[in-house]
Amino acid sequence: MKDIYILGIESSCDETSASIVKNGVEEIATVISSQIDIHKDFGGVVPEIASRHHVKNITMVLEECLEKANMTMDQIDAIAITYGPGLIGSLLIGLEAAKTLSFVYNKPLVPVHHIAGHIYANSLVKPLEFPLLAVVVSGGHTELIEMTKHYDFKKLGGTLDDAIGECYDKVARVIDLEYPGGPKLDKLAHEGKPTYDLPVPLKDDSYNFSFSGLKSAVINLAHNEEQRGNVLRKEDLACSFQKVAVESIINKVRKAIVEKDIKHVIVAGGVAANNGLRDAMTELCAELNVDLSIPPMKYCTDNGTMIAAAGYYAYLEGRRADLNLNSKSQDTLK
Amino acid sequence: MRILYIDTSSSYLYTSIVEDNEVLSEIKEEFGQSLSEVALPRIVSMFEDNSLSPKDIDKIIVVNGPGSFTGIRIGITIAKIYAWSLNIPITTIYSLEAMAISSPNNTYHVPILNARRGYVYTAIYDKEYNPILKPCHILLTDLQEKLDNIGDYEFISNDEFDLKVENYTPNFAKIVSYFKDKENINPHAVNPEYLKLTEAEESKL
Repeated sequence: MKDIYILGIESSCDETSASIVKNGVEEIATVISSQIDIHKDFGGVVPEIASRHHVKNITMVLEECLEKANMTMDQIDAIAITYGPGLIGSLLIGLEAAKTLSFVYNKPLVPVHHIAGHIYANSLVKPLEFPLLAVVVSGGHTELIEMTKHYDFKKLGGTLDDAIGECYDKVARVIDLEYPGGPKLDKLAHEGKPTYDLPVPLKDDSYNFSFSGLKSAVINLAHNEEQRGNVLRKEDLACSFQKVAVESIINKVRKAIVEKDIKHVIVAGGVAANNGLRDAMTELCAELNVDLSIPPMKYCTDNGTMIAAAGYYAYLEGRRADLNLNSKSQDTLK
Repeated sequence: MRILYIDTSSSYLYTSIVEDNEVLSEIKEEFGQSLSEVALPRIVSMFEDNSLSPKDIDKIIVVNGPGSFTGIRIGITIAKIYAWSLNIPITTIYSLEAMAISSPNNTYHVPILNARRGYVYTAIYDKEYNPILKPCHILLTDLQEKLDNIGDYEFISNDEFDLKVENYTPNFAKIVSYFKDKENINPHAVNPEYLKLTEAEESKL
């Protein structure tokens, strides 16, 4: 069979990225232009600033990617683009770039859902086995997705309020960790003990999550300690928070593995880089004897590689978009 | 010389293909909320109507602002990707220049765009289109002060103002012929001219 080369373009938040992937599994070249240092000064991603940088960077990112791959656009079989969800102004830059390339080179345009990208980041490491459970954890998402075959997604449940990554960043702010505080909080948690009592949220029979209550509990706890004149043991608070947050994920993952007869569990999204979660998932999957894939760190954050990998399977499924494709800030994975 | 012109800086999509002062195709369309759905398909339809392929364009002139931030970015992204990918010469102009040059009247031209909270994006051009006031983001009252010394001028706008304004309709042949020899820019350096910081940056000042 002829090799298929997909160019993936991703611009849904604050990373402008392009990547070329062969047959959905082999990374040929990737370029990521991150704006993290720019947004740090504002304590979070400022959408208008992100959009301004995407438009500035987009051609340079594409050029560098093609140069790195030593390829020309003529050798690309299709262009995969994150159409959503994400920041609308950011998404639009990648989208217009992809559509224009599709027009100029007469190449098929393949729409890819951002979360499908995070899931398929794993296929760059190891083939997916079905039935599969994807645990999607990031700054914008906390979802459990069941897949019984390629490019077939069924959402079992998700967060009812804040995403886990968002909750991490907010809690990090309470203990004065600089944005993005999630990874720093993870690190600090390993230096502490779970001495503070925090409630495990949403201990129910659903596959849903809730993190806003937990966040409020941490804020209240910190406030009360201050009122009482007690010194807040930041590392212990980080550890206590992490324990509860991870436990709430693990409870629902355990339920899904058992009830859906899952063979392969994959963790996807930026919070897949969290060591507390990685350790707990490893332990759980060993206990239940199911395969576990956690993408390497470089595939956990937003990148074009995962979009190209997902785009390959979407391409095989015959998914195509016209030049009137629009970006969507919200959209269900299907 | 066949030139593609793109202006997505307002609530209208203005695009045209002009060949040696003759307009082959033109689009002037109010698009509502869905610029990204219509911009590229409409541009492509002009190519189809003239049986042209993307490489049949000799130069791109794109409006880089001021105006709608999102709108400008859509036009700029299409134009810079197109120019970069096929190595086509590209240059940028201000929306305000296009507005002044399209005017049929022999007077000073003052294009104004509503920038909210009393501010406008504006410039002042003389009868030969030389900028007397360069494109800027200023209070309308400040602009009016600057106009005190200028006798005959017209405001040009499609926005609502409590002023007598001439409505803007682009004259693509005139715009393109005026700028057809303007110096080309490296596509990587083709960027919007917002003329205004983001609110987040302003609040840090």
